[in-house]
Amino acid sequence: MKNTQLEILVHYQDIDLMLREAEEVEKTLGFPIEGHEKLQGAKKELEKHISPKYLHTYQRLRTRYKRPIVPVQNDTCLGCFSKLPTYFKVRAREDQEMYTCENCGRILYWMN
Amino acid sequence: MDTSSFISLFREERYVSELKGTRKNQILDELLGLLKQNHVVNHPDLLLETLKKRETLGSTGLGKNVAIPHCRTLTVSELIVIVGHSNKGVDWQAMDKKPVTLIFLIIAPPQEKQNIYLPVLGKICEIVRENKIRKMLIRATDFRDFINIIGAAA
Repeated sequence: MKNTQLEILVHYQDIDLMLREAEEVEKTLGFPIEGHEKLQGAKKELEKHISPKYLHTYQRLRTRYKRPIVPVQNDTCLGCFSKLPTYFKVRAREDQEMYTCENCGRILYWMN
Repeated sequence: MDTSSFISLFREERYVSELKGTRKNQILDELLGLLKQNHVVNHPDLLLETLKKRETLGSTGLGKNVAIPHCRTLTVSELIVIVGHSNKGVDWQAMDKKPVTLIFLIIAPPQEKQNIYLPVLGKICEIVRENKIRKMLIRATDFRDFINIIGAAA
């Protein structure tokens, strides 16, 4: 089953990172950054479609980590490089639950 | 990042000598089509949406007929560079209002082992700022021609 909430949250994080890097780096490379407020608006709009549980977890983690959602590769959390229990993968594909790393607490995202 | 690593990011299967689209979003979709075929991207629609959002932040049309759309996204697991030519030219809302004929699409995951996303973006910006090289890249008709110019410029 597809976890739609997690997909929206992934998109939310992509925008979050985009806003930060645009200001910090892209301006210096010569890209015009003028739609900051417009994109902040789009981010706010997206928040309306994220369940409070997911959004709260993301925002709490955001105070500790630059990237609260991390991919999983070879049953490893790419945030802290801890090995994850094998049953996580099976369950994450079966239900709509949010899975977090038992070691660092980041939200886990499995690539297909 | 060394020169050979940079050059190896350009691949023939990720090169389009003549794009069909005439609008920015069509071009982005067309370029992403190459990744869909090879199942390189986890969620193509989400990636297209992220690229569109990046354009709302400011056009990635650098001027002088070149655009470098780019974003970081969790939907890919490695840095990807796709190159496309549009002989007709596309309105990219570039700074100089000139139509874009050469597009470098760069996509990278938020976490990269080598952290090369920004250096690659910077390197491509640097290469296309050179008038002579940019003109040669725009005129390249096939991948071999293109990669030879990139190799000489990198």
